[in-house]
Amino acid sequence: MPISLLGPYGRSIITAAVIAAMLAFTLSYANEYAHGSLLGFFEWMETTWFGIIGKTWGGVFAIIQAFHLLSMAVLGGTILVSEFRVLGIFLNEISPQTVVQRAHSTFVWALVVVLFTGVFMACGVATKVYYLPVFWYKMLALGAGMLFHFYIRMPLYSNDFSQLNPRVLQMTAIASLLVWFLVAATGRWIGFSG
Amino acid sequence: MSEEIEQSDSGQDGDRLKDQQTAAVIAASSFIIFSVVYWFFQIQSVRELLELAYG
Repeated sequence: MPISLLGPYGRSIITAAVIAAMLAFTLSYANEYAHGSLLGFFEWMETTWFGIIGKTWGGVFAIIQAFHLLSMAVLGGTILVSEFRVLGIFLNEISPQTVVQRAHSTFVWALVVVLFTGVFMACGVATKVYYLPVFWYKMLALGAGMLFHFYIRMPLYSNDFSQLNPRVLQMTAIASLLVWFLVAATGRWIGFSG
Repeated sequence: MSEEIEQSDSGQDGDRLKDQQTAAVIAASSFIIFSVVYWFFQIQSVRELLELAYG
């Protein structure tokens, strides 16, 4: 949909609509219906090459998991360094745009590795994670985090910071930290869940 | 003519900035509220489990 059709506040309207849709989906029966209809897909995931390799060779699963955790650490590092700079906590001698842009390219690579290794690991334990509520919280947080990062955060941070309201910048940085902390914490919780 | 185009451009830039900042406020406040509620209930459930285990 062309954003110009929505007037000068197209991005804001789309953001509010997506959040309202996510809330409605989470709180309604559509959530349970979608969950039930995905069981077949998760059972199929275990029969794929990724699923068979993950279940048969524990060593391969462990190596992929190591790369998953390393890339999560890199991803978290890029978020920490950029948001702490935006909040003015450290690296204050470097412009925030420089820190954000340099961290962003590393973030993209880390995210690609996180997604690829995450799909591999999910295939190996698909029917287990399907029944874990925390797995779905992680997927929700990951989806929301990616949307927030690419649709809200990066377009905002690409402006001259002196033109932006400092409170908006602080709120964006804190929200970014919270959403990626939720992704990491729920991922760790999947590991604790047997 | 060129001044009108410049004014129009700066007006569009101002709208774009306002739009991006409004979208950021909507998304950020939603995430912050969701995080507060989510972590409150997570911490509450852990406290209840600890009370059940240790009294």
